[in-house]
Amino acid sequence: MLRKRIIFTLIYENGIFNQSRNFRLQKVGNLNWLEKNYKFQTIAFSLDELIVLNASKEDKNIDEFANILGNLVNDVFIPIAAGGGIRTMDDAKLLFDNGADKIVLNTILATNPDLVRKLVRQYGSQSIVASVDYKPTNNMPCVFINDGNKNLDIGIDDYICYLEELNVGELYLNSIERDGTGFGYDLDTIRRVCENTTLPMIIAGGAGNENHLIEGLNIENVNAVATANLFNFIGDGLPKARKRIIEEDMNIATWK
Amino acid sequence: MTTVIIDYNSGNLRSAEKSFQLMSEELKLGQVKVSNKPEDVVNADRIVLPGVGAFGSAIKNLDEFNLRDTILEYAKIRQRPLLGICLGMQLMGTSSEEDGLNRGLSFVPVNASKIEVLDLKVPHVGFNQVDFPSDSILYKGLENLSDFYFTHSYKMESDMEINQAMCCYGDDFIASYEQGNIVGTQFHAELSQTNGLKLFENFLEYF
Repeated sequence: MLRKRIIFTLIYENGIFNQSRNFRLQKVGNLNWLEKNYKFQTIAFSLDELIVLNASKEDKNIDEFANILGNLVNDVFIPIAAGGGIRTMDDAKLLFDNGADKIVLNTILATNPDLVRKLVRQYGSQSIVASVDYKPTNNMPCVFINDGNKNLDIGIDDYICYLEELNVGELYLNSIERDGTGFGYDLDTIRRVCENTTLPMIIAGGAGNENHLIEGLNIENVNAVATANLFNFIGDGLPKARKRIIEEDMNIATWK
Repeated sequence: MTTVIIDYNSGNLRSAEKSFQLMSEELKLGQVKVSNKPEDVVNADRIVLPGVGAFGSAIKNLDEFNLRDTILEYAKIRQRPLLGICLGMQLMGTSSEEDGLNRGLSFVPVNASKIEVLDLKVPHVGFNQVDFPSDSILYKGLENLSDFYFTHSYKMESDMEINQAMCCYGDDFIASYEQGNIVGTQFHAELSQTNGLKLFENFLEYF
């Protein structure tokens, strides 16, 4: 049976990993700090996948990001998706060459669909994760790009139809409003959107404890739950959450 | 002893490289080399044909690096161990519908076709359980129905006996095959935590 997945998202900015709240970043520590305090290998053992996003605001130095990515992925044996600031074929290649199994696209999905098509042709749909940031505007969830700064004035359903036509492999649906709050996922929007798409769905934004992860996993069409909450989940938070989810006999992979 | 991971511009090779490095070190089974040079393939003790991307461009890249004949000679004539991963496994079949109809290396008489199951999401992505034959060498030491990480939109199916393990996503499809020195896995053992490392260990030790 195809299992559901638990994903951790690391938010990177200029050499430092961050806690994000409503897309405002709070510095936590660099790679050494992460290794030292959080024994990243142990945490990776509780994860199905890792996502690393470059959220640097001004200059998204992709070479430096790729370098950090290359170091980060050395001792983990799980799929890694990386993105943030991919604007050219070379940017994508750089991340793949530094250990990304998939790339995460956001802004260019809207601004440069031709490049997205080229990336799909070169690396296959299964390597392309489409990240969709949304926030309610006049009571309707609208899609934002450029690190959540630019409102596309497009409803989320129309946008996802458009992404399906671009042949991307997966969706990463992130609520800007819930991001980093720990209030739980935006279940209403997620339930509705999930019913209308044929793409595998990763949900993000709001998970603050293991009950939230379980709530997300219990939605039929949700394929993966993601959290970027360094404060709440790193340490023994994720191993404990996974243990409980396995003990409750939920549909999740096991290894020894 | 050298394990060569073939680099033909097919996406991320780091995961496979570091997994094989770790297992080769533990088993003291020599070095791991990532290469696109035919002479390295000729001299290899084991080769790994990884692959993400599309079938058509992958086979074109193999030809561009003059690797097709080298691999044929290595695996078919000299019968040396070869492991194909994901697209690499499909490349060892007869053909694929991906990217137009393209011919493969034809080590196993199976072609690849698009996953098409009503109401199921494509690509098939995530960990899924693998049902393997009890006499399998590749899965030695693993429990049946162990989880491995898949991510693919094309699949292989066959009624022929190629010592296949099966996976189910809507329909049953081939998760792996073992034909003498030729081994293919649809899943990414290099992304499958300790289950995958065990499988690589078996490939290094028993093939």
